Amino acid sequence: MTATTQTPAKAAAPSPVLAFLKQPLVVALILIAALLILGEVLSPGFASAQQILRLLIVAALLGIVAAGQNLVILGGREGIDLSVGGVISLSAIIAGNVMNGADSAIVPAVLACMAAGAFIGLINGMGVTLLRIPPLVMTLGMLGVLQGLLVVVRNGIPSGFAAPGLSRFVTQPFLLGLPGIIWLWVAIGLLMAFMLTRTVYGHRIYAIGSNEQAAYMAGVPVRAMRISLFMLSGVFAAITGICLLGYSGSSFANVGEQYMLASIIAVVFGGTPLSGGKGGYTGTMAGALLLVILQGILTTVHIDESGRQMVFGATLLLLMLFYGRGRAMRG
Amino acid sequence: MSKLIMRGVSKAYGATLALRRGDLTVEAGEVHVLIGSNGSGKSTLCKVLAGSVRPDGGEILIDGKPVTITGPHAAREHGIGIFYQELSLAGHRTVAENICLPDMPGGIFVDRKALETRAARYIALFDTVAGEGFSAEAVVENLRADQRQLVEIMKALATEAPITIFDEPTSALDRAQVDRFFEILRDLKAGGRSIIFISHRMDEIFAIGDRVTVIRDGETVGTENIADTNPAAVIRLMVGGQEELAAGASAPPAAATDRKAAVLKAENFSGKGFANVSFEVARGEILGFGGLHGQGQSAVLRAIFGANPAAGGTITLGGSAFAPSNPRNAIRRGLAYVSGDRSRDGVIQGRPIIENATPIHYLRQKLKLARPAALAARVKPALEALHTKFGGLSHPINSLSGGNQQKIVIARWLIDRPDVLLLDDPTKGIDLSAKADLFALIRKLAEEGMGIVLYSSEDAELLNNADRILVFNGGSVRRELTGADRTRYNLYQAAYEAA
Repeated sequence: MTATTQTPAKAAAPSPVLAFLKQPLVVALILIAALLILGEVLSPGFASAQQILRLLIVAALLGIVAAGQNLVILGGREGIDLSVGGVISLSAIIAGNVMNGADSAIVPAVLACMAAGAFIGLINGMGVTLLRIPPLVMTLGMLGVLQGLLVVVRNGIPSGFAAPGLSRFVTQPFLLGLPGIIWLWVAIGLLMAFMLTRTVYGHRIYAIGSNEQAAYMAGVPVRAMRISLFMLSGVFAAITGICLLGYSGSSFANVGEQYMLASIIAVVFGGTPLSGGKGGYTGTMAGALLLVILQGILTTVHIDESGRQMVFGATLLLLMLFYGRGRAMRG
Repeated sequence: MSKLIMRGVSKAYGATLALRRGDLTVEAGEVHVLIGSNGSGKSTLCKVLAGSVRPDGGEILIDGKPVTITGPHAAREHGIGIFYQELSLAGHRTVAENICLPDMPGGIFVDRKALETRAARYIALFDTVAGEGFSAEAVVENLRADQRQLVEIMKALATEAPITIFDEPTSALDRAQVDRFFEILRDLKAGGRSIIFISHRMDEIFAIGDRVTVIRDGETVGTENIADTNPAAVIRLMVGGQEELAAGASAPPAAATDRKAAVLKAENFSGKGFANVSFEVARGEILGFGGLHGQGQSAVLRAIFGANPAAGGTITLGGSAFAPSNPRNAIRRGLAYVSGDRSRDGVIQGRPIIENATPIHYLRQKLKLARPAALAARVKPALEALHTKFGGLSHPINSLSGGNQQKIVIARWLIDRPDVLLLDDPTKGIDLSAKADLFALIRKLAEEGMGIVLYSSEDAELLNNADRILVFNGGSVRRELTGADRTRYNLYQAAYEAA
């Protein structure tokens, strides 16, 4: 009897501690700490300063591409960008070929990669808005095209090498012992937070993600917005591609492949539902960190790439189970 | 003994009493017309009978025996069939399958032969008028609107129910199809069936009806023999004692004479759902759009705002030509549009109140940055003008009541004043005090020089607030009511006239 009378009361007023703990961001941070401890237990030295720095670099690579993924998903209408892996691979190859080991060519290489990423995003965005192709189909098709393109390109031309300056930027300490890429990630984090909360553009992203029809009726240029989100996703993926070249020294086939699933998991883990319209980038950053640590643990216990992908896929499904797909905003 | 008796049926949705006292007596072998204005409760009465709404009170007798209709299935077992006004057809299925849908022949597997034989019987009824491409095998979604409506009618006929409800069955049909349908109804009547017929067209009502029951404000106010009455008398019954409710006294139409300052002008404006609509709105004037639901009022407003495509005609805004293309351009030209469907067209769910109040300000001022303090200083006065109750500007809009949500949506138009405010049934589903706040504000905005077009599905709102009323019927303006002509009687007469 007492149990039946207590349950509804509890449901009506959850304790503030519980509500705090249920926030996706808090969940992610607690999990990050737990995983670091777990890693240290499994393999002493896992949570050493040097290892954590390495994890941070890898997380930055993922976090940057996840920024674009985050924007596309926030924009709603089933927004998702499955082509980011292809863009990363393409960008790494373009960067490698343009700079080919020369510091003087870094700037043109970066510009070329970002232009390529923006162009691919433009095509994705136009397919989604003008031709009304579902984002899932459009960007998956784009991924196929890019993969084919990479095969063709790599048959003739050598893949090129990272300039020493780029490698230093990604792997060597730059400020306060942290490499440039970490600072770039922090800067992107601050910019994203500012954009999403303090600019008209940011508010419009949430508006189209939450209720596209209402946004349209209030004069938001819905199509242009959506195209720009895909373009930003392309640009962020291109930046990750460049940095990945700096991290590994030379580009190899399908270097970006693993980032498609990982970027989506990072976003969803960070509290942005796949239905869009709510969430933000801070959570995504935590999600990226979490995922990278998880990957590190899996590697230390000798689970290979295919095993890791299975764990990632299962993680995404579990997340969907926990958070749902974000109940439809209307009705 | 009467076939069907409904006595004192009532139904409330939350605090709104949709049906206070619904009485209806239908004999075997008659076509019984049900009539009432928007929101009078006639649809609710039919829904109770069809089992889709459970009544709060009252009794229903079929063949003299009291029955409880617990659901659509129970309704069918009690011998009640219904034609749905909203198309309820399965688009990908054939005509024959749709006709037999309520009661498929065969067990687990459909007996195709029985299905086709049964469907053929009803298809044959409309053989001469169904038109090209209509056959048992035709897929419904490939049919024209009138043909789909015929399928809907056949589906209702195929139930062979002793009591059949037809809720506006003729809206898409042409003359010959209506004539054929009426012949069939007369045959059914001769066979002892009872037909409940809802229509807004006086000519049809008087062509097919035997008796008419009038519902007003949720109450049955009378039943007449069609042969003993006339359209004017029926309308008087619908109006009741409210004829003197015209606005005149409370709101002097100050601007009605000042036609020179037309701020919005439409000439022969046409589009989907309306044709050749012409009107002018002066600064300081509230122009009302009236008539029954869905006669083109909303379509005209949306087309002016650029939310629906327009097909022809011209729009003049503040003296210069305006070609509606999309809401963005309309807003830039000083137009504002408030939809009654706020969850679809207005509210940005889950976002803070302040973000819901600022999108128009962003656009009109070409803002790039959203500075909370500066925006709050703009938003607060707009919300106060509407007496909006809210906790804080950063609270999500979902935390508010429907009426206050709508106030936020309206407030977004008040920060940078538009020249013309288009109100598309703006008070749908909001509470009385919010309505009063809204209309007080609208009058004030008009006095400050705004031109306002108000479509309302509540006739009292229109009569109390509009300086002039254009009555829409069948997609065009049937009549203009000004000054002392703004009465309920005139409004209904124009609205129910044959289109």
